[in-house]
Amino acid sequence: MGETPRLTGDAASGRLAVGGAWSLGGGDPFLAPAVPAGAWREAVLDGSALTALDTSGAYALLQRLKAAGIDPGALRYEGFDARQLGVLRLVAERWPQEGAPALRPAPGLLHRLGYGAEQTRIHLLGLLAFLGRFAVEAARLLAHPRRFRVREWVVQLQAVFVDAIPLVVAMVFLLGVVFAYLLGFQARQYGANIFVVDGVTLAVCRELSPVIVAILVAGRSGAAMTAQLGTMKVTEEIDAIAVQGLSPFDVLVTPRILALLLALPLLVFVGDVAGLLGGMFTVRGQLDIGYTLFFDRLSSVLTTDTFLVGIVKAPVFALFIGLIACRMGLVVARDARAVGFATTSTVVQSIVSVILLDALFAILQVRLGI
Amino acid sequence: MDAGAAAPVIEVRGLVTRLGGAAIHDGVSFAVPGGKVVALIGGSGSGKSVLLKVIIGLLRPAAGSVRLFGEEVWALPEDDLNRLRRRVGMLFQDGALFSSLTVAQNVMAPLEEHTRLAKPGRREVARLKIALADLPASAADKLPNELSGGMRKRAALARALALDPELLFLDEPTSGLDPIAARAFDRLVRSLCDNLGISVFLVTHDLDTLLGICDEVVVLGRGKLLGQGTLADIRRIDDPWIRDYFAARSTLEA
Repeated sequence: MGETPRLTGDAASGRLAVGGAWSLGGGDPFLAPAVPAGAWREAVLDGSALTALDTSGAYALLQRLKAAGIDPGALRYEGFDARQLGVLRLVAERWPQEGAPALRPAPGLLHRLGYGAEQTRIHLLGLLAFLGRFAVEAARLLAHPRRFRVREWVVQLQAVFVDAIPLVVAMVFLLGVVFAYLLGFQARQYGANIFVVDGVTLAVCRELSPVIVAILVAGRSGAAMTAQLGTMKVTEEIDAIAVQGLSPFDVLVTPRILALLLALPLLVFVGDVAGLLGGMFTVRGQLDIGYTLFFDRLSSVLTTDTFLVGIVKAPVFALFIGLIACRMGLVVARDARAVGFATTSTVVQSIVSVILLDALFAILQVRLGI
Repeated sequence: MDAGAAAPVIEVRGLVTRLGGAAIHDGVSFAVPGGKVVALIGGSGSGKSVLLKVIIGLLRPAAGSVRLFGEEVWALPEDDLNRLRRRVGMLFQDGALFSSLTVAQNVMAPLEEHTRLAKPGRREVARLKIALADLPASAADKLPNELSGGMRKRAALARALALDPELLFLDEPTSGLDPIAARAFDRLVRSLCDNLGISVFLVTHDLDTLLGICDEVVVLGRGKLLGQGTLADIRRIDDPWIRDYFAARSTLEA
């Protein structure tokens, strides 16, 4: 072991001698010296000084012989044992085809830009088609309500809504605390303490709760849905559902999207309550606004409009999160890496679409004067 | 062949394996001689794949000893076990190729970790192993999911051969292959064994593999060793499962 491969020649006697370890355990056989200059046709190849020979070493050795214009078949082999000759024979028999395939050239910037744009176009069209498919399936479901998979829907509702409540409460409560504290800090300087209640209420109910809850659900449930459907696709479970005469869309996609559609508004409501509680505790401690005063102010600030503006966004967010998550799961290529890519992509796409939709809602509200 | 090949490469003594309370192996003992193709057969659920995992050091047995090249697998510290594993190649049932790497990269992965080969050398070795496994050179830059089942098996074999193992484990090498590809794969395994002196230990359900290339057969059943020996020895054993097993193809045998 560890001996460097040697290849020496004695021109006078017409003998080539290989020695050392021509194997992966020794030095790098592909860095071994070339055949020394000389006329070696029909020479003797002496292997008695070989300490090791494996397929890689044999390949490197034969490469060197061929590079010197020697036909390994015309040599006489001496000092090799049966196994070493077997190795040489097998490697010579299964010589790799010449002309290794050219490595794919790395695409240029323009190429990547164009490719990315085209992929995005295809992707958006696919999402639109998926939305259409969901609309058709939902309409069919209205016509045949008995086809609705109640059990799967309930299971999903449990996972998306019930199990998410502690997380949502904790997150939005803390946001309410932070927001009230920072606002109170500023408002106190102008003696506008009571308006902190207005600020917290509007911020939590109109923006913070819907957007944060949607992002949490996208990261939590959207990713889980993509990973689950993607893995089912990889293991051909989705094909198995189709072969049994069931529609994978009915069985898997519709219950998930409908569960999200119900769960998200409920979670936003939970978030509203948690955020307001966070604000309430903060203003009491920081600005001496008692609970009674807080609720008194709240009843005039928290109009039905304010509450609804936040709540109506939720199903729209939910629809897009569900569509993206289920579609990414179903279009996964059949390997482990693709599931990871699709899951990441779901989270990114869902969050981007939630923010874009929220911006759209903001514009709409300004135009409608709500 | 040479005299050293007679020493057993695998020695299993009094092996007891339990999975979730159920005894899979209950006192299994056998030895696999070097330089031969030895098959492990047994009915479904007789613990063949589990035995393979125990031998290769992936699953700890409840009792008994497993020796690879004379070294006690389950008494070795992690480093020594990994050193031992470098002398062994394993072909998993579904290939278990790394799906994010091309075939050439799959073959080069163990070379990068365990040898001092420079990059051009690694690429050369990958080209050689791909050719040794009877894959076209064009397969080298493909990803595993772009290959057919038979090609995936060959790619996995190329990876298993990367470090020139002395012992090759094959888990159902011909399952999922058509008979033509299966026989070609058998011949490939046999020629590797004959030319390179590799010992081969394979789990199989394929009677043709058994009849075509195996020197010896180890039979597992009901958690015990039912027998070991040449095919003729095995057929003489009076056991209902073995009778049914060989009867399953007697119509084709002349």
